[in-house]
Amino acid sequence: MSLAQTNSVALLGLDGHVVNVEVDIADGLPIYSLLGLPDAALSESRERVRAAMVNCAEIWPNRKVTVSLSPAWLPKSGSGFDLAICIAILSAHETIAPERICDLVFLGELSLDGRIRSVRGVLPALMAAYKSGITTAVVPRANRAEAALMQGMEIIAMEHLSQVLCWLRTGERESDVEIDDQWNESDERLDFADVAGQPQARLAAEVAATGGHHILLIGPPGAGKTMIAERIPTIMPSLKISQALEVTAVHSLAGSFATRSPTSLIAPIVSPHHTTTRVAMVGGGAHAIRPGACSLAHHGVLFIDEAPECSSGVLDSLRQPLEAGTITIARSIGNVTFPAQFLLVLAANPCPCGKFSGRGRNCSCSSQQVRRYIGKLSGPLMDRIDLRVHVDPVGRIDMARIELGESSAVIRARVIAARGIAEKRFAGLGYNLNSQIPARSLRTLFRPERAAMSFLHDELEREHITARGLHKIVRTSWTLADLHGHDLPTMADVTQAHSLRGGVEI
Amino acid sequence: MNEREARAVLFSAIEGGHPFWSQEIFTHDAVKVITKLQDGGYDAIKFEKLMHSIATISSDQVLSAIESTHSHFIVPGDAMWPSAVEDLANPPIALIAKGNCEALLMPSLAIVGTRNPTNYGARIAGDFAAGFVDREWGIISGGAYGIDSFAHKGALIAEGVTVAVIASGIDVNYPAGNARLFAEICEGGAIVSEVMPGHPALPARFLTRNRLIAAISQATLVVEAAFRSGSLRTARDAAELLRPVMAIPGPINSPTSEGCHRLIGERAAEIVTSVADAVEFVAANR
Repeated sequence: MSLAQTNSVALLGLDGHVVNVEVDIADGLPIYSLLGLPDAALSESRERVRAAMVNCAEIWPNRKVTVSLSPAWLPKSGSGFDLAICIAILSAHETIAPERICDLVFLGELSLDGRIRSVRGVLPALMAAYKSGITTAVVPRANRAEAALMQGMEIIAMEHLSQVLCWLRTGERESDVEIDDQWNESDERLDFADVAGQPQARLAAEVAATGGHHILLIGPPGAGKTMIAERIPTIMPSLKISQALEVTAVHSLAGSFATRSPTSLIAPIVSPHHTTTRVAMVGGGAHAIRPGACSLAHHGVLFIDEAPECSSGVLDSLRQPLEAGTITIARSIGNVTFPAQFLLVLAANPCPCGKFSGRGRNCSCSSQQVRRYIGKLSGPLMDRIDLRVHVDPVGRIDMARIELGESSAVIRARVIAARGIAEKRFAGLGYNLNSQIPARSLRTLFRPERAAMSFLHDELEREHITARGLHKIVRTSWTLADLHGHDLPTMADVTQAHSLRGGVEI
Repeated sequence: MNEREARAVLFSAIEGGHPFWSQEIFTHDAVKVITKLQDGGYDAIKFEKLMHSIATISSDQVLSAIESTHSHFIVPGDAMWPSAVEDLANPPIALIAKGNCEALLMPSLAIVGTRNPTNYGARIAGDFAAGFVDREWGIISGGAYGIDSFAHKGALIAEGVTVAVIASGIDVNYPAGNARLFAEICEGGAIVSEVMPGHPALPARFLTRNRLIAAISQATLVVEAAFRSGSLRTARDAAELLRPVMAIPGPINSPTSEGCHRLIGERAAEIVTSVADAVEFVAANR
């Protein structure tokens, strides 16, 4: 028998396709051909597979070896096919029983000495394999924690090619060391108690976390903007398991588990530097399309410090995901859609030198520079931001205070309670955050009380707010009502929402 | 050459707000000044440039250039001439106005302030403009972004008359983003300029323009101004003319209220906290 086949998975974005790896060994001059649109990394697999095989004391078939990855039209990339190719060749060479491997899926890169290296995208790959009916997968040991999230599949995590061969031939393997696959829920390092003073910004952060309202913090350097932004995930409710799986899948694809555990239920926070490019922000790439910062922040926080310093195209590229909750990237190899439902947190200095606050006498910027600086945040983007808060420098009273501010746990309990109220209200409507209420329902189902509405209509008439601004204010007022325990947004809720939005549209 | 033609020539030859020539033309009159210039009655070396331009400019050219911008050339003695500007130490030689020129004769409040207002200032500017419009006053301001724009918008929303005194030529929209606002102002109110059409808004022209805002209006209100602000100049011009000057207080840690607090602290402006306050103060001091 000189034909064998097994399976691996090719990823295009988060969508996996099970790839059939077929190997035929025929008589002829020793030659190796790899079919099925491999990219450079995959083409190099020949050398890795060959060296690994030889170094594990296996025999390389010195005949005509044809490896076909089907479907042949699907472009394939990366080194994750090494293990599957190696096993299929050995099986075609009649050293492994073919029926042993035809229902398995193999993921992993081989090193020259036969060790199995970790690869990206294991979780989305396993999801695809599971959907197509495969129940057993061999994955690199390093990816085990992530693979273990895949319920309903038998996961064999192996460290070395020889272990895999031993298992395939004899059925024996070392029992897995128990890993801690408990979901972890809390991060002890950051806490809102560290933030001194800043009642307005604290409130805004709480409202943002509750209703999913995007937020802009403006203030001089050192006032605590970054500190507050970094702590927003600590007051957001834990992710649901289904949400955590989505987050882990995206992070798996980006290979960012060095900074985030695959079993974390904490809302992620991603803070790209302001020199970031558009591709890094929304995702992209030529061969393998990688998720960008806005997808890594899915179900979490996308924090951009010094937002006006970003090239304008970068921030504006967020407009579509802000609206749709997903980002679709079109490249020649295909269209990829990543999830991107994030809470946008922007921080900005009041002017280029940062000193235009307090009495403002140290500020060396001209009036036009000050105007231009905040003006760099484009109108359409600002329109999507519900909370615009000035963060003033911390006063000496706040710094001298010995008792700490409210801790994240206390605030988080309020956030969870308020989100619960909102979820009950929206039962069956297809959304669960106040920021997602459609405009139509704001005028019918979810009107604030009468006096509050007439206040808003007055503001509209005096052109202090736009129609979209009115809707945004009503959405925020619902969040405030939930936090305050009101059944309907009152006048106080609406005026507070109005002032959190910054009053007048400039 | 009649007075109007003589003023047209001098208007195009002399930059607005010149202390010597403004006085000279105001105390004698334009025809006499031109004749004296032509006869060598002034220092021929010092004023060589001016004498040269007087000799080359024709009044027809100037007047037709102004007419081509669909605006009016207003000189003292005209029905539309705002005689309040004659209180200035350096009154304008003439004015170019577009829109409803009667707006210049209404009792009016100047609202001035920073180009970077906070929401507070933006709101106050609009509210005071609307409040005075409701009491049949006109509003006067510059053409800049910020408080100027919000004052005009407030007056327009209240369906009132508002006047923008701009530092560039009447046909130059500066800043360009306010072009639509200028068009709206012209519908019921007016735009006024003291420079020839087509000329840009040079920095020095803002200061000479500020004195016109102070002089045409009956009272001046500073809404928000930074520590160094052109609107403080307008306030001091108004104080020199003995017109009521008012300022709106703000938080002491707001950089855009520093200038107002400075005026209030120096007793150069009256502190006002409501439209009614302001109306009362103006009525008592007119």
